[in-house]
Amino acid sequence: MTRAPINKGSLALSAYIYAVLAFIVIPLVIVIPMSITTSEFLEFPPTGFTLKWYAEYFGDRQWVRATILSLQVAALTAVLASVIGTAATYAMVRGRGRLASLFQALLIGPIVVPHIALAVGLYLVFQQIGLSGTITGFVLAHTVLALPFVVFTMAAALGKVDPSLEAAAMSCGASRFDAFRLVTLPLVLPNVLSGALFAFIISFDEPVVSFFLSGIRQKTLPRRMFDDIEQNLTPIIPAIATLLILLSVAILLGAYVLKSRGKR
Amino acid sequence: MSAAGRSAFWHSDGRRLSGFSALLLLCPFFVIIGFVFLYPLAKLLVISVMEPEPTLANYAKVVTNPVYARVLLRTLWTAVLVTVTCVVLGFPVAYFMTRIRSALAAVVAICVILPLWSSVLVRTAAWAYLLERHGLVNTGLQAIGLTDGPLQLLYTQSAVVIAMAHVLLPFMILPLYGALRSIPNDYMRAASVLGAPNHRIFLEVVLPLSLPGVVSGSLLVFLTALGFFITPALLGSPQELMIATLVSQQIREVLDWPFAAALVGTLTLFVTFLALVFSKTLRFDRLMGAS
Amino acid sequence: MTDEANKPSAAGASIHIRALEKRYGPVRAVDGVDIDIAAGEFLALLGPSGSGKTTILMALAGFEFPTSGTITVDGEDLTYLPANKRNLGMVFQNYTLFPHMSILDNVAFPLKMRGVSKAERHARAQQALATVRLEGYGERTASQLSGGQQQRVALARAIVYHPRVLLMDEPLSALDKNLREEMQLEIKRLHAELGITVIFVTHDQGEALTMADRVAVLKDGRIQQIGPSRALYERPENLFTAGFIGEMNFIDVDVQAVGEQFRVALPSGEVWDVPASAVVEPVKVGEKAVLAVRPERLQLGAGDGRYSLHVTLRDIVYAGAALLLIGALPNGKEIRARIPGASNLGPLAIGSVATFSVPKDAALLYRGLGQ
Repeated sequence: MTRAPINKGSLALSAYIYAVLAFIVIPLVIVIPMSITTSEFLEFPPTGFTLKWYAEYFGDRQWVRATILSLQVAALTAVLASVIGTAATYAMVRGRGRLASLFQALLIGPIVVPHIALAVGLYLVFQQIGLSGTITGFVLAHTVLALPFVVFTMAAALGKVDPSLEAAAMSCGASRFDAFRLVTLPLVLPNVLSGALFAFIISFDEPVVSFFLSGIRQKTLPRRMFDDIEQNLTPIIPAIATLLILLSVAILLGAYVLKSRGKR
Repeated sequence: MSAAGRSAFWHSDGRRLSGFSALLLLCPFFVIIGFVFLYPLAKLLVISVMEPEPTLANYAKVVTNPVYARVLLRTLWTAVLVTVTCVVLGFPVAYFMTRIRSALAAVVAICVILPLWSSVLVRTAAWAYLLERHGLVNTGLQAIGLTDGPLQLLYTQSAVVIAMAHVLLPFMILPLYGALRSIPNDYMRAASVLGAPNHRIFLEVVLPLSLPGVVSGSLLVFLTALGFFITPALLGSPQELMIATLVSQQIREVLDWPFAAALVGTLTLFVTFLALVFSKTLRFDRLMGAS
Repeated sequence: MTDEANKPSAAGASIHIRALEKRYGPVRAVDGVDIDIAAGEFLALLGPSGSGKTTILMALAGFEFPTSGTITVDGEDLTYLPANKRNLGMVFQNYTLFPHMSILDNVAFPLKMRGVSKAERHARAQQALATVRLEGYGERTASQLSGGQQQRVALARAIVYHPRVLLMDEPLSALDKNLREEMQLEIKRLHAELGITVIFVTHDQGEALTMADRVAVLKDGRIQQIGPSRALYERPENLFTAGFIGEMNFIDVDVQAVGEQFRVALPSGEVWDVPASAVVEPVKVGEKAVLAVRPERLQLGAGDGRYSLHVTLRDIVYAGAALLLIGALPNGKEIRARIPGASNLGPLAIGSVATFSVPKDAALLYRGLGQ
């Protein structure tokens, strides 16, 4: 024997793996070529290239309105979730930890409880107080959904900051708030931004709660997409989907870069 | 509280925040969670047992009415199918990722995590296009010669299972990969030098030691699948509802709030109960590190 | 049944490693190694990290395939045979007992892989456990055992199928000192009782010297020297081995004359005549050479048949059974001497000038610049 024998079993395994990976990746990337073909169905070879679906998206008032609404909601959610989440995490990490178990239980709540439950409950409550279909309503709901992720990000970041740094600042005469603002915050700023980006994308893409909270006039982008897919399945969807994928990738790459910069 | 205890509440001890400051910072969190999360759920729970008068009839309707009982069973069964599919598809991938060099493993990891970087809506829409009459799957099947004409793939429960498995696959692969990676290489080497061929190393050593990861991933997929709304709503048939789509129908068309609340209550209590029971295996904070 | 009848019929296997090379890109982990191991021999592979000793063991076990070269065990070419077909025993640094099986199932595992029936493999596993004096522990799991006990179970598991070679990858590094000495004796006893060939990788030279029949000293993927402990200690064949094994003083000298005696001039001015038998590496007149002397061969004060060295005492360290004297030559070079702890130093103290002396044949001469 001159060379290491090839394992037939592992060849079969590899083939299976690549098949599964194709299964995972193809549905994701298929919307991209679909968004630029002239025909309404995906054909090989493609019949022609066009950007008309993108033009239709940007030219339609309703789509643009929905997009702007979603962007506004996402931006506000990012801010609100970051502020509330960072404050709460700071209190847990630097405090005496008396409410730790309650905090953790409440934190996991929005993750464990199915979104449909929250969506229905909020629909009920917001209807009665007139928040349904309003930006405020969307922002509050999305903030709750994004909070756990902001907290996890900040808990990891704040945990790595040495509490002695703040203590040293305070011994130099700084107030607790100043110590946080001037010493800790700069150190964890990348993580704060990273958490904000997570919150943004969670809100922007969120479909279930938006579905129930959207009114006739105030529809988020996901809600509008849902209606379109349910009723027409027009070719404009792949164009929007491509843009969304690009946005998600950009944002999550940004969050990742910030996170690794925060690690130093 | 003693006088010293009361004073300690208001003052910082130097390093740690005073109880008062900590509470102040935590207020917004508790307020928003209380009003926007707990209160709506509590209200639903109350409606489910209090309307039209204090009663358990709404819950009874869920299980006794054959139509709705079927919905429950269908939901459970679908969740089971999705979980099993994810294990069958995901375990080999996770195992494969541990056996190859880190550069290739990183590429595979990106492929696995990539779907998470797009919304459920986008992925579900992609499956709608793939499974429709002129979609890629049908054209592919006809090209191979497996069928003559396009099959009705969309708006069936099978479409729902396939798409949900696709969406939830990363939630199976990532915990599994973590569990498999924590098995030291030396165990496999020891088994090998003791005479075990590759398939027996897998059966006797890798599989038993990876079971906690399988349980963890399966639980995650199963519990998430139970409450899924978007995919069944868009890809399923109106005759084959799952819990979430039934709830939507009850609220938007039938306007039977107490019954819808009871459905939500059943689902939420079931999922929360299971999550609590298995809380140690699930280890949520670790899962977040994966993203 | 008598002990004789119970003794496993396997003796050890002979191993021939020829021109073994393992390259990872530009890095040569193993750079042309030849070793012949006799049946039943206890060979230690000794060296610092990166010396290639573990890579050789991995190649023997079948976890790495060499880039070139051959490995023959009992005449059979094993070089590219998968690990599970080689029928070798192996013990790992971290015991590596399967945590989800009982101790008995762990030891019986290799027999299960060989298709032995449950009753028989359990019986043979019990025998193996008895060999390592752990009978009765079969029903426990690994987590319930101490480190030393786990390693003994690992030994039992490695020999239960009567392999003719036992590979050991730094098996005692994870144990604390007292346990380590106990386990060294245990392994030696097992080796004597079973007669199998043992290849033992370690970075601890004390361990290698006391346990092995022969020691192979490795550096940068090549063998520096291979031989019995005494030969390695008393006549290291190169400067690396001289410095790696035990403690050694190195003095740079100039070669003034060669012949039956090699005349060398020390930097402090003394001139010594070193017998040709003490010259390990050939040197020429006018070249720089290195004189190597073991600290325990140095004595305080001059003597007959001894060469003297004048040093300024820098440090005196009392270590119970021995006294370590550190003296400096005029050029600053440190010389260490180890003398009996009860020695009388007289008026000598730190800073005083003292005389170290060494028997004329106790210094070895090597080529090249000092370390």
